Amino acid sequence: MANPSNTSGTQSQQKRQKISLRQFFFLIVQTQIGVGVLTLPYDLQKAAGHDGWISLLLASLLLQIVLLFFWLLAKRFPDKDLPQYTEKILGKWAGKVTNLFFSIYFIAVAALVLVLYSRILKLWILPETPKFVVVFLMIMAGIYMVCCSVTVMARIYTLLSGLLVMLFIALLYVLTEIQIVYLLPIGKAGWTNILNGINAGVLSFLGFIIILFIYPFVQGNDKQKLKTIFFSHWFVLVFYLYTLFVTFGFFGPEEIKLVPSPVLYSLKAFEFSIVSRLDMFFLSIWVVSVSTSFTAYLFMAGTTFTRILNAKSSKHFFIWSAVLILAVTYIPGEGKEDVEKFGSMILKFGYLFSGILPFLLFIVALLRRKRTQGSDTK
Amino acid sequence: MGYRRRRSEQNKNLDDLTGSTNKKEPKQPSFSKLSDNIDYLTQALMLSSDLKVRILQDGTAAILFFESLADNEQMQEQIFNPIEQGKWGSISELPHGSHTEDLEESLKNLLQGHAVFIEDGNKKLTQFSVTSVFNRSVEEPDNEKVVRGSHEGFVENLMININLIRKRIQHRDLIMRYFKVGKKTNTNIAIAYMDGIADPKLIDEVVRRIETVTADEILSPGYMEEFIEDSTFSPFPQVLSTERPDRVVANIMEGRVALIAEGSPTVLILPATFFMFYQSPDDYNSRWFSGTFIRLIRLMSFVIAIGLPAFYIAIIAFHYEVLPFDLIIPVKSSINDIAYPPLIEALIMVVLLELIRESVLRLPAPVGQTIGIVGGLVIGDAIVRAGLVSNLMVIVVALTAIASYVVPSHELSTSLRILTFPLIIMAGTLGFVGIVFGMMFIIIHLSKLESFGVPYFAPVSPLRLKDLKDTFVRLPLYLLNTRPKDARPQKMKSMGKSREWKNRGKSK
Repeated sequence: MANPSNTSGTQSQQKRQKISLRQFFFLIVQTQIGVGVLTLPYDLQKAAGHDGWISLLLASLLLQIVLLFFWLLAKRFPDKDLPQYTEKILGKWAGKVTNLFFSIYFIAVAALVLVLYSRILKLWILPETPKFVVVFLMIMAGIYMVCCSVTVMARIYTLLSGLLVMLFIALLYVLTEIQIVYLLPIGKAGWTNILNGINAGVLSFLGFIIILFIYPFVQGNDKQKLKTIFFSHWFVLVFYLYTLFVTFGFFGPEEIKLVPSPVLYSLKAFEFSIVSRLDMFFLSIWVVSVSTSFTAYLFMAGTTFTRILNAKSSKHFFIWSAVLILAVTYIPGEGKEDVEKFGSMILKFGYLFSGILPFLLFIVALLRRKRTQGSDTK
Repeated sequence: MGYRRRRSEQNKNLDDLTGSTNKKEPKQPSFSKLSDNIDYLTQALMLSSDLKVRILQDGTAAILFFESLADNEQMQEQIFNPIEQGKWGSISELPHGSHTEDLEESLKNLLQGHAVFIEDGNKKLTQFSVTSVFNRSVEEPDNEKVVRGSHEGFVENLMININLIRKRIQHRDLIMRYFKVGKKTNTNIAIAYMDGIADPKLIDEVVRRIETVTADEILSPGYMEEFIEDSTFSPFPQVLSTERPDRVVANIMEGRVALIAEGSPTVLILPATFFMFYQSPDDYNSRWFSGTFIRLIRLMSFVIAIGLPAFYIAIIAFHYEVLPFDLIIPVKSSINDIAYPPLIEALIMVVLLELIRESVLRLPAPVGQTIGIVGGLVIGDAIVRAGLVSNLMVIVVALTAIASYVVPSHELSTSLRILTFPLIIMAGTLGFVGIVFGMMFIIIHLSKLESFGVPYFAPVSPLRLKDLKDTFVRLPLYLLNTRPKDARPQKMKSMGKSREWKNRGKSK
């Protein structure tokens, strides 16, 4: 009788928190799909025109390899999360410094998520509401979601994933109006542009680093976990491709250049007999998606801080991280350029922290033959 | 009446077993002199006026009882008739009397309504259970009526309630355990569960929590609920209370624990999950199509009850553009002349409705009806004509009220109406975004909540697809062949193949 959550007690909390493969899947998916989904087609077409979907595909192939390394890294430490084994691999102090950088990165990304989200809300729904109100609400929701345990977070993420279906269905209406011609001829943009587009593609997938935090909590063997990681990756890819096709097919190559959030504009064009302005509902559901990505980063930042200071309870660190995030959201200005500059700067660090750094960690671990005791015998 | 004696014996045994409730009880060996015994008892009871001492056998014996508790007819029948018929020589020899040499124990039994017979020169005290019982009949509870199925309901007597359960589960695995809670009220409570189905850890946890209750009085299961539930700072009830034996039995068979208290017809079922509040015995008595349909309507009522006014306010105050073109003019014309913003309008209406509801509930039925008419029709009509509240708002709030009463459980229906308020305020200040955040907080809260270590929002969060067959829908009973996992039953399978006859018929 598997009965992991009955006895109360804090010391064994790590051990009894277990999440299923399905919850693992949705945790990854919900972290990845977030703020970016509204602007993704615009960003991709800027680089590669209507061939942006090829860039996206190539980016996903590239990430497939990165994910494999993530898995190899996580597999070596089956009961530890990223900040724990950074310290183990690099030694105590070097590890702590690296972790500090990691946490700064997570806080910056979380702040960026909030900045973009509050901007879109300001443009679309609440032009008069101060930024602080919407940001504060999001932070409160994030703290409330994160402040219990990974198990609860996984439950909530799985539940909220039902809303992705609604996003999917909403876009189905647009799908009836698309013109396949707009996507032809394939490869018109030229290979250099398509390769340039990979950048925007990769950035839209960022968030998969949550794997390294959640991995030890997941029930199942390593092979099943790898499968789940790949499935979630493909799921996100399919979801993105779907939005790309819908928006590219709906707007056409000339029009889309003028539309910064094509997903919303395409929905705005429709009117139904029950409701007009489907985009309002889409946006409301999107807020939930944003909250899940934000919470994931908040979770990672808080966990990293906890590990750096070797604290037992991470509750306070979540709140402190949230306060820091709130402060960081005021660093960039309100203007479009400021936000974009802030965004592109932080996202460039994404390559370092969600790609290069974990990869290096893996190499060092391989060279120094570091792994959790006991897993050798398995 | 025989069970009463049995119960006191069982209590004794249980107290020996658990050892904790009565450990510190004082003991007082009885005296051999009659007057000493009587003095001790009457002094202990402070010469309470309803304590009667009847002297028998020319002053060599006495019988003590509370005239308010003991039944004269029963005393006659149990004690004096056998003596008069000459079958037994002395009252202390009567076979249905229980004996003790502890005055404290007989004191306790006196308070339960026993008559205590004391003889001079004999340390042995003989007790007879002659309690007078005033029971109402096992009628159908008013607030949980069903169309088909059993119309029995629990009453205020613990033994009758247990009898109603035992009659429905005639199996040796059905276990009852007695407890005494309330230091002054000495309320008897019992827990019932199925051995081999209910999780032993759950039973231990329930027992542990019951035993830590040290309050002076436990008047109703509502007291127990607040002492033993997980988070009291949650609007959602985490213990299901019901007055229907069939509902209790169904839940016991799923591996849950029922808590029955003396003096109240309400039985608590723990652990409870959110969706249990939306199940009604009616679902299982009707065809599964209609059961499913009605359950879906009920769950829809949850969304309407907490979301509809907020949604309406968000549209009126923020998102006019969401309305289709043809609807804009009628809506606009209806709210154009209203002086107050929609938020205030809604609050007026919702508070008014709660006032009417509460007053109708407290008043005797004929007056209540009048208030209902005055409140509902007169005020409802006049408030619109006066231009305080718009037509549409009246419709919205009325719908919400109806939706909140659809829930088969009274507690949850109250929580739903309370949850409407924060959502109205969120919607009135932030529109759709406010609703989204409000709903998100509710969903996060529901997912976090646990009742006795069992996730409250199961089987939706954590998701368990297999258990959804009895959550949003009700599939035919032969497909419900496993117990829901949320109560962690030890035996998942609840039936074998029960429609085999069909295949067999075909093959032959």
